[in-house]
Amino acid sequence: MSNRIFRLGDRAVYAAFIIIVLALPLMVDDVFWLNRIAKYLVFGMLGLAIALSWGYAGILNLGQGLFFGLGAYMIAMSLKLQSFTSLQQGSDTPIPDFMLWNAQPGAPTDLCCITPGSWLWIPFQAQWFGIVMAIVVPVVFALILGATIFRLRISGVYVAIITLALVLLARLLFIDLQPVTNGFNGLTDLGWLTVGGIEFDPFMVETYYIIAVSVCAVLLLSRWLISTRAGLILQSTRDDPNRSRYLGYDVASYQIFFFTVSAGIAGFAGMLFVIVSEFATPTYFDIAFSISMVVWAAVGGRSSLIGAALGAILINTIEASVSESETFQQAWRLIIGVVFVLVVLYMPRGLAGLARDLLARVVELSGRAGRKDARSTRTAAE
Amino acid sequence: MRAALTIEGLEVNFGGFKAVDGMTTVIDDGELRVILGPNGAGKTTLMDLISGKTATTGGKVHLFGRDITNRPEHEIARAGVGRKFQIPSIFRDLTVLQNLEVAVSHEPRVFRNLRLGMAAADRKRIDDVIELTGLDAVLDTLAGDLSHGQMQWLELGMLITQQSRVILLDEPTAGMTQAETSKTADIILRLKGTHTILVVEHDMAFVRKIAERVTVMHLGKLLAEGPMQAIEADPAVREAYLGSGGMH
Repeated sequence: MSNRIFRLGDRAVYAAFIIIVLALPLMVDDVFWLNRIAKYLVFGMLGLAIALSWGYAGILNLGQGLFFGLGAYMIAMSLKLQSFTSLQQGSDTPIPDFMLWNAQPGAPTDLCCITPGSWLWIPFQAQWFGIVMAIVVPVVFALILGATIFRLRISGVYVAIITLALVLLARLLFIDLQPVTNGFNGLTDLGWLTVGGIEFDPFMVETYYIIAVSVCAVLLLSRWLISTRAGLILQSTRDDPNRSRYLGYDVASYQIFFFTVSAGIAGFAGMLFVIVSEFATPTYFDIAFSISMVVWAAVGGRSSLIGAALGAILINTIEASVSESETFQQAWRLIIGVVFVLVVLYMPRGLAGLARDLLARVVELSGRAGRKDARSTRTAAE
Repeated sequence: MRAALTIEGLEVNFGGFKAVDGMTTVIDDGELRVILGPNGAGKTTLMDLISGKTATTGGKVHLFGRDITNRPEHEIARAGVGRKFQIPSIFRDLTVLQNLEVAVSHEPRVFRNLRLGMAAADRKRIDDVIELTGLDAVLDTLAGDLSHGQMQWLELGMLITQQSRVILLDEPTAGMTQAETSKTADIILRLKGTHTILVVEHDMAFVRKIAERVTVMHLGKLLAEGPMQAIEADPAVREAYLGSGGMH
């Protein structure tokens, strides 16, 4: 009985989320706001990806920014080559402006050899290559990393340490490889995503819809994944991997698969973020960013995909409003830190858990009221 | 009678200490075998070696004629060996029903399990196990909220759902009340004949209730094997137990 109500409640929340996200441009006609909301939706996707690995697989990835950043840089390379300035560097083929600044005197103005490693950019002249790589690179990287970690049965805090170290390593690399990545400054002044002759200006309703539809699709796909038998078995490996093994499951294959899906979602989110924000920087590899994602998921509820997504959207909306004020901006990190500690200590299932408990309470009360009603009508009849 | 499990000269060396040292025994298909032995006799280690938790340093384990020595745990499980641990090992954050659903393990890897729903035959199997273990009132309860006895029955139920042909039970009645112990004995007795069961147990009342053939281990070796009465009368067994407080 109460299970059916929970299922209904769950579906209602998903339906409401999708309807609101898709109908939002009808209510908000300020494109600057739509652009902002699109960014928060991308962060929602990141919260969801964390919930998938942390909440459902028990894998705490403190370096999710690695996959987000990889996805972001891949598409940014293509968009950089599409930008107007890249076509104006005195060559027949597009050359990113920073490569000229970094070039050795006398180097030919061509992607092949203008700077050491600039040839890596050659295939990115095709935009589809950047789009495909934004998913493929994070996925392949996660697959190799996951296969190594989980076949060796590394778990818990060690996974967190390894992923944390890797994202820092990536940050160093991307800053250090200035001739290829423009180092600390990242890739800015990007062109617009162009599909079928349509240019997707980040401040356009159509661009918002790319993000909105992507977020809804990822949400539904992830929900399907966790409701399959594989999703149930994955949760069993979180609770007791040894028992799953003795039931005959290849535990590592489940962990690798869902870790990789989570990374793929993060890479996809990175790509979408570049489309709406028009830059990719090494700050995506900052530890603070990766840890923020974990905080969003914890506050929203790590064992609920939509809870984690809503947590991310909520916290970012609040953060954006308080950052208008200088004092609050300073205090924000502290506030969010305290909130995180409180949630972990007193509300381990986050806002989603709170909502569930409230619903349970309402069901219980209405059930009791229903019985009382029935009793009083009976008494009246007598 | 066909042999379900053949253990031949099994040995494990933990840096000089041989916890199991040349153990040999044959367990027939459908048999219920109790393993006794004083503390440190190597009973749990023997189960670890059979189920693949610990790698052997010598000897062989055959399951229905197939060599399963030192295979990975999930392969041994798929070959038909189910293991129940001393401390209940269940999925505490899943409901009782979900625990049993996970136990239906036809496919070991992830991709073939990317589907919804369950075959009618598997549903039927789960229903039978629910009936056998008497867990029907708590199907939607989180397994972590069950009583100790219910957890043990759930774990046992999962092994039956898994369709293990050989079930290894490590102290299934540890920490149980008299009534719970008696119900556990009933469940195990109902499995006799359809499943091959290997039980390590200290509770002698329980052992007398279920035992047919008994194997006694001492210092990692086979000490005696035979019917319960013969074992209780065996002077070598009495000697081994007297050394560690006698047989209760």
